[in-house]
Amino acid sequence: MPFDDPAFWRAGAISTTVVMAIVLVMLTIDSLEAIAPGGSHVPPFTVVNRHIDYVHNAKLGRDMPVVGEDEPLFGKAVNSPEAEALIAQGKLVIQSRACIDCHTFMGNGAYYGPDLTKAWLDPAWEAWVAITGAESREEAMVRFLMAPDQYATWQRRMPNLGISRDEAVATVAYLKWLASIDTNGFPIHFGRIKVSE
Amino acid sequence: MSRSKNLAVKYLTAAVLLFGVMTLSGLMSAVYYINPDFLYGLLHFSVAKILHIDTMIIWLLMGFMGAVYWFLPDEFEREPTGILAAEILFWVFVVTVLVVAGIFTFVQWGPGTETTLWLFQQGRKYIEAPRWAAIGVALVMLVFAWNVVGTALRARRITGVMAVMSVNMAPLVLLYLIAFPKIDNMAVDLYWWWWLVHLWVEATWEILIGCIMALAMMQLLGTSRRIVEGWLYIEVSLVLGTGILGLGHHYFWIGTPDYWLGIGGFFSALEPLPLLGMVVHAVYDAGVHRMKTSNRPALYWTLAEAFGNFLGGGMFGFMITLPQLNLFAHGTQWTVSHGHFAFWGAYACGVLSVCYIALQERRRLVTVNGPGWVWAFVLLNGGLIGMVGSLLVAGMAQAFFERAIGGSTLDAFIAGQENPWFKLGMYSRFGFGLMFAAGYLVLVWNLLALGRREVAVVVQAMPAE
Amino acid sequence: MSPALFLLTSSLLGIMVLAAGAYALLYGAARFRRSRDLLIGAGLAYATVVLDAAGIVLATPLAPAWKLLIAASALGYFAIPPLTWRYLQYTHREEEVHL
Repeated sequence: MPFDDPAFWRAGAISTTVVMAIVLVMLTIDSLEAIAPGGSHVPPFTVVNRHIDYVHNAKLGRDMPVVGEDEPLFGKAVNSPEAEALIAQGKLVIQSRACIDCHTFMGNGAYYGPDLTKAWLDPAWEAWVAITGAESREEAMVRFLMAPDQYATWQRRMPNLGISRDEAVATVAYLKWLASIDTNGFPIHFGRIKVSE
Repeated sequence: MSRSKNLAVKYLTAAVLLFGVMTLSGLMSAVYYINPDFLYGLLHFSVAKILHIDTMIIWLLMGFMGAVYWFLPDEFEREPTGILAAEILFWVFVVTVLVVAGIFTFVQWGPGTETTLWLFQQGRKYIEAPRWAAIGVALVMLVFAWNVVGTALRARRITGVMAVMSVNMAPLVLLYLIAFPKIDNMAVDLYWWWWLVHLWVEATWEILIGCIMALAMMQLLGTSRRIVEGWLYIEVSLVLGTGILGLGHHYFWIGTPDYWLGIGGFFSALEPLPLLGMVVHAVYDAGVHRMKTSNRPALYWTLAEAFGNFLGGGMFGFMITLPQLNLFAHGTQWTVSHGHFAFWGAYACGVLSVCYIALQERRRLVTVNGPGWVWAFVLLNGGLIGMVGSLLVAGMAQAFFERAIGGSTLDAFIAGQENPWFKLGMYSRFGFGLMFAAGYLVLVWNLLALGRREVAVVVQAMPAE
Repeated sequence: MSPALFLLTSSLLGIMVLAAGAYALLYGAARFRRSRDLLIGAGLAYATVVLDAAGIVLATPLAPAWKLLIAASALGYFAIPPLTWRYLQYTHREEEVHL
């Protein structure tokens, strides 16, 4: 009986691990293609020049981001290298301030502050345009990021992290691009209240 | 005592001390939810949280290393290769951790430049440590891997347990390289980040703790090597068989193709099955020895490991792993509930078991028992279960009100956080956190005091008549 | 999926695994204590697994493939304790202490 021979189970351990690892590698190659900017799920960085929306797709049965007409940030379109630079700078801000240790991105991070996946699309910014005296949503977001301690959303306040204007602009661009990623419907029915089926 | 065992005691001591830092920063993190003005402008939530989660990873890693350095000389019947390097790197590790903790606390953040990533803050969850520190940690782990693999090569013979551990070292160390790059694309960043986090805590760490527990079982219960090794291979098959593609349960919502919903959900749903086998094994071991052992706390912490792993990882994970449900629960306090229970059950209990095993030999104790460890055991486990239950209530409320009903906007988030059930969960979590902290203090006192006042019993042979 | 059904489905899944754990614990205890009462307890725990799985299959809006997976898991949970026990007895048969 091989069952009490460790060599029998060792063969099983090796073969299982190898097979699973190979499958993972194959799926990784495919997934990396899909999530590269311009891939099937992730728009190119120049999407920051366009209108982004998030609507229910009846055929797929879930919410999908929709890229619409031209709507450049601050009224000024950026070319591909400029968009890349904005995204790179935005990610540097997000990492240098450890945003992921208060907030979540696509649900990953910390849960003290709200999820930022669709923050660009949050209806609350409408009110913030007036509160911050800004002319646009992106300007309101920039003013908020530069002085969150002055614009408390609630009793739980975001601290001032010394974010400069350039850094805030890059972060806003990053959040706009982030909102355009197809996350398979997360978060569900964003911006719409639903009590029952 | 061997140099490796002396080093093991240093690592286990450092681990227990960091466990205290983790507990303190955890309590602080809990206070912010109750009093949002707590230290505002001085030390914000993210700092407490970074300290809490990073010390968790480090204390467990140090615990594993301590356990391995403890068992290594007995397994190979020789001092490990490169022990001097390991002894030096222990201090490198400790100093690195202290300096980084200081940077996190007093510097906190820097401007959005590569320099900040190199010197102060990388801002990726669990791996926030600046790059210079990550280099230090990588070096420590490389030498650790060399201590294991190099000794095996020198000894020219290797046990099954050490073979599994040696092979496991490669992915353990290589995966840590993911802590270095700054990846602009968040989808790609998270894709690789999850290779590190999941393939550590739900794969290579599971194998490592499996090896450690195998060595512990041989010592605690005298189980034969043949049985323990056969079981270890079964565990490797089942854990990696479900866990490697179970990685997919982190790929539901990060922009990856939707085939991950099926693959991740399916393999992840299978993950409780091997854990159930471990529960049966634990019951068998407890029963066959009628709970008799010369080291009761070590045995009880091992049993806590089996049950905690099953409940925290298996049961709590199963509640939220199917994608249709994860859509609501993802990134809420429900996740926190599962995480606390799983880490505690799968790893912390095992490390504490090894602490008592090392203590017995170190202090030459015939038996290890007494009320102290029982109090620590009850307070820590009771506190943990209380915290986890509180977070479950809060998480269910958050998932229900913020996600399922509210539409996940800022207003929905606030509504969820203000919900009475959520707030009750936060107060309750803090209360049980205090209980857990009390348990930690009793544990430390017990580890320090155990055996110090034991009266040596001298047995004299009766003279022949 | 409605908010209420989501909470119900999650809870049922958790209870299923919890009951499976209780079954495994009671089964093991019954075997080493040779206790009929504990074995009945194990049976009741597994009955909870079955009822719970039935509830998931009949009352939740999961797709058929997932319901099949849950049903198959329930069968798996049934088999694991006795199979594991038998394997442990077999491998320990030459040990000084065994059950």
